[in-house]
Amino acid sequence: MGNSDGRKAMTRAASASRKPGRRRKQYACGPANLQPGERRLIEVDGKQVGIFNVNGEYYALHNRCPHMGGNLCAGPVSGTTLPAGPYQFVYARDNEILRCAWHGWEFEIATGICLVDPSIRARTYAVEVENGNLYLYI
Amino acid sequence: MIIDCDVHNDWSSADVLLPYMDPNFRDYFQRGEKPGPQGALPHAHRPWLHPEDFRRHDIKPESDDDHYKLMRQHLLDKYDITIAILTGEEALECSTLANPHYASAIARAFNDWLIHEWLPRDPRFKGSLLVAPQDPQGAAAEIRRLGDHKDIVQVLMSHGSYRPYGDPFYHPIWEAAAEVGLPIAIHLGGQGGINYQPIGGGPTTFYWTTHALLCQPAMSHVASTIAHGVFEKWPKMKFIIIECGIAWLPAILWRLDANYKALRKETPWLKRLPSEYARDHIRLTTQPLEQPARKEDLWHVLEAIDGRHVLMYASDYPHWDFDDPTQIRLPREWQEDIFYKNALQTYDRLPKLAE
Repeated sequence: MGNSDGRKAMTRAASASRKPGRRRKQYACGPANLQPGERRLIEVDGKQVGIFNVNGEYYALHNRCPHMGGNLCAGPVSGTTLPAGPYQFVYARDNEILRCAWHGWEFEIATGICLVDPSIRARTYAVEVENGNLYLYI
Repeated sequence: MIIDCDVHNDWSSADVLLPYMDPNFRDYFQRGEKPGPQGALPHAHRPWLHPEDFRRHDIKPESDDDHYKLMRQHLLDKYDITIAILTGEEALECSTLANPHYASAIARAFNDWLIHEWLPRDPRFKGSLLVAPQDPQGAAAEIRRLGDHKDIVQVLMSHGSYRPYGDPFYHPIWEAAAEVGLPIAIHLGGQGGINYQPIGGGPTTFYWTTHALLCQPAMSHVASTIAHGVFEKWPKMKFIIIECGIAWLPAILWRLDANYKALRKETPWLKRLPSEYARDHIRLTTQPLEQPARKEDLWHVLEAIDGRHVLMYASDYPHWDFDDPTQIRLPREWQEDIFYKNALQTYDRLPKLAE
C-alpha cells in the first residue's frame, strides 16, 4: 500500500484486457446516451452492473466492492489528486475515478484497479456500442 | 442471531425535535444561531470535516420516513438483525455546547423524540438515553425521568468530553445510572466546543489520521473510570465504549497494571488490578474493526484481555466505516459471543432471547 504502488496505479494505461473473450454478448441497458460522467445501474443475470461513460468511452463494473462487498457503483465519480510532492495538490482524471459508496476506496473505472492497492481489482465487463445501443459481455 | 450495538437513527432536519423542546429553550432552537441552515442541530462543530461526508453514499433518505425504510432495506432485513440498539446521530453533539442548560434541553427533546417516534416503530429497536455530560445534575435528572422506560437499554454520552469520565464531576451521572440499573455508553463524537482536547499533542491536520487517533479519549476514560473507583463505588456498573476501536485496549491495560503495581498508594480505594476491573466492567463494540494484514494478529492480541467476552458487534449503519456482519470474519468460536451473547450479558434489559 506504499506510495510507489499508488503511483503505478495512477499511471497504468487503461489497457488492461477488456476483450470479450468467451463471455456471452447480452443486450444490456438500452441506448448509448449517457453523458460523460454519467452512469446507469442495471441488472443482468441477477448481477448488478454499473455502466459508466468516461469521457466518451463506455465501461462496466460489477456493483460489488472487492474490499467489503459494498455498493461500489453507487459511489461518487470524480477525479482525484495525483501522487505529488509534499503539500502539492494536483487534481486530475476527472470522471475517471469511482469511489465506493461504503468505505470510499478509489477505483479506476476503465480497469477496476484500486488506486491505493493495485493488487485489488473490481470486476470489469466489456461494453460495446452497436447501432446506438449498449451491449455488455458477461 | 445478531445484536447490533450501534445503529444510527437519523433525521432529515433537527426541527423534528421542536415539538419536544422545553418551552424555555424553544426560541433558542427556532431563532437562535446554528452551525448551518435551518434544520441544523445547535452544536459546536469539530475542526475536522470528513472530505466525502461521513455517511454512506448509497443511502439517500429524501424524507424522514425514508430513514427507517432504508434502514430496514440496507440493515435490519438484509442481515436479519435481531435487535438494533439505536444511538441517534447528531444529537450526541449537544455535549459540545457551553450552555449546559440548553444542552440538556436538547438531550431531553431527543429522548422524547426517540421514545415517541422511533422505538414504537419496530420491535427490534432498543434505545439509548442521551445525556449532556457537561450538566451532571441535569443528566442525572434525565436518567431518573426516563431511565425506567422498558425499551431504553443504556445511558449515552459522547466520548469527546470536558474531563475524563471517572472524574468526581460526573459522579452524579454514574449514581443515577446505577440507581435505575442502566449501563453507561460513550460513542465517538463531541470533538469540539468545550471538549477542546480530543487528540493528545494538539489538533491533527487530516481527517483520516484524526479518525484513527480518536481512540485517545477512550483510553483516558478507561484509565479514569478505573482509577477513580467508579467500579468500586458502583459494583454492578458496565461501561460500554462504542466506535473507538479495540486493539489499543490490551496495551493500555498492560501499562496501567504495571504502574498500579508500583504506585497503588495513589488510589488506595482500588482492590484489584486495572485489567481485572476492565474485564468485569468495560465492554467495547467492534466497529470500526482494525484490519491488520494478517487478520489473526488482531485476535491474538485480543485474546490477552479475553476479547471473546468483552467485545460486542456493531455495524455503525449508515456511516462510511460501516462493518458488514458477513464480512468482518470473527474467529469461529468467538462469533456467538460477539454477535449476541455478550450483549445479552451486558444489557440487562434486553429480553433474554431463547436460543
